[in-house]
Amino acid sequence: MALVNLQNVTYTYPITHSPVLQNISMQVNEGEFVAIIGPNGAGKSTLCYTIAGFVPHFFKGELTGTVEVAGQESSKSNLHEWVLNVGLAFQNPFNQISGAKYTVFEEIAFGLENTGVPREEMKPRVEEAMKLTGIGDLADRSPYSLSGGQQQRVALTSILVMQPKVLVLDEPTSQMDPIGTREVFGVIRTMAENGMTVVLVEHKVEWIARFADRVIALHEGKILMEGKPSEVLTSDLLAENGFGISRYTSTAREARNQGLWSKARQLAITLDEAVAGFKQ
Amino acid sequence: MHERLSYYVKRDSALHRLNPLTKFILVLSIILISFVSPWYWTAHLLLLLGIVPLCFLGRVSREFFASAIRLIIPAAGFIFVMQSLFQPVGQTIIFKFWFLDVTQESLAFAFRIATRIAVMISAFTLLLMTTHPSELMSDLTRRGLPGQFAYVIISTLQILPQMQAKAQTIINAQRSRGLDTESSFLKRAGSLIPLVGPLVFGSLVEVEERAIAIEARGFTSTHVKTSLHDVPDSSFDKVMRWFLVALVVITLILKIWLS
Repeated sequence: MALVNLQNVTYTYPITHSPVLQNISMQVNEGEFVAIIGPNGAGKSTLCYTIAGFVPHFFKGELTGTVEVAGQESSKSNLHEWVLNVGLAFQNPFNQISGAKYTVFEEIAFGLENTGVPREEMKPRVEEAMKLTGIGDLADRSPYSLSGGQQQRVALTSILVMQPKVLVLDEPTSQMDPIGTREVFGVIRTMAENGMTVVLVEHKVEWIARFADRVIALHEGKILMEGKPSEVLTSDLLAENGFGISRYTSTAREARNQGLWSKARQLAITLDEAVAGFKQ
Repeated sequence: MHERLSYYVKRDSALHRLNPLTKFILVLSIILISFVSPWYWTAHLLLLLGIVPLCFLGRVSREFFASAIRLIIPAAGFIFVMQSLFQPVGQTIIFKFWFLDVTQESLAFAFRIATRIAVMISAFTLLLMTTHPSELMSDLTRRGLPGQFAYVIISTLQILPQMQAKAQTIINAQRSRGLDTESSFLKRAGSLIPLVGPLVFGSLVEVEERAIAIEARGFTSTHVKTSLHDVPDSSFDKVMRWFLVALVVITLILKIWLS
């Protein structure tokens, strides 16, 4: 059975009239890495908040359909219990720093303190999480003195340490420079390799092509397409509906139109695939 | 950048090891006693025989005297001058300044008030220098202070320098587009208005995100909160606290009895 299971989810924010999510049904299996793509306003962030329980518990509004994680239904749970099922990290690393702690180590332990984890258990868990995300050397620094990439890794570690069943990441690298992006994706990859179930909203298609098991394309609150990254990311449907696509895909599509790219060959997503395609 | 966010001086001393609540009560009782004691010299003695030795005990004497020169002495000095000039008590005029009489009584009164103020500021300085704010808050939370309250205090302390930095960024951005911030006072005051929008509304948006972030980390959890650091609370601390409370009560009784 799927770990995350959304059935016919429709959601309207309190101040808007039309639903942001319309009849969404999707599943994520345990250990799976699912990427969600879509143009601005497609409802990607709302979908993240829905899986993470902030819709409807934090934002209120009207939710129909069911959201289940590990057999529990979100609308029948409390937000503070639900966050133990689903961990959420989002764009701005600065706003994810609690502001209540003076060192990175304390910052990561914040969630454990809140949920009443005994002190003896806390230290090894924080240390283990920091080791996994490779930020052990930052332990005694102030969270505010770090670079964006480092802060985002601290934010991810702070969520990871709570040992959620699913990790929901809403554009975690959108405010990062290329170095920060690489650092953060390094952490995400490590988590996925350790069997963590990940739902990632991301614009950087080349990274998705490298990591994701499955891609869901969201458009105007509906699921437009779903499937393997190689199929979805090269689909003509995406280009027609204003999705951000890889420059290698656009190049390959143009080359195909000009007869330079074999019709039988799938369009390229990454640089390597483009090089291989043109060499042929 | 902002590694140093408070007055806290990280040292190992008997005063640092004292339970934060004990220190808090110590500071409060020193201030209360110096203010309510019926005896004239109490505040002066508390300053010389209480606070000064305590700052050596806490091994923060250098930092303490630095802040005494910067903050405590100017503040107390200002109050001394003001009080001696404007306090309309006494007949024994020492000298006249314009239309103001400085009398022996007003000088004595001013000296006492100024010392009390000095005791108050220096006692709090000592507390802040030897107590990590998060230690104080986690100890108070453990004793039943609501977690939200502790969060508001600590996060305000931490976020203020961030707000300052952001205000500076906005000012710089606006200056680079020709905003005048260096001419007359009125013009400078006027140029603060365009700062308010981005700073205040930007902060309000941030509040929602930060709320989501701490919520995602179980902030409203109904579990009893635990704490990463063990805050020591010895039997000496407990005795000390009751002793201090008793001292304050005795001083209050003396004050009422003698007046």
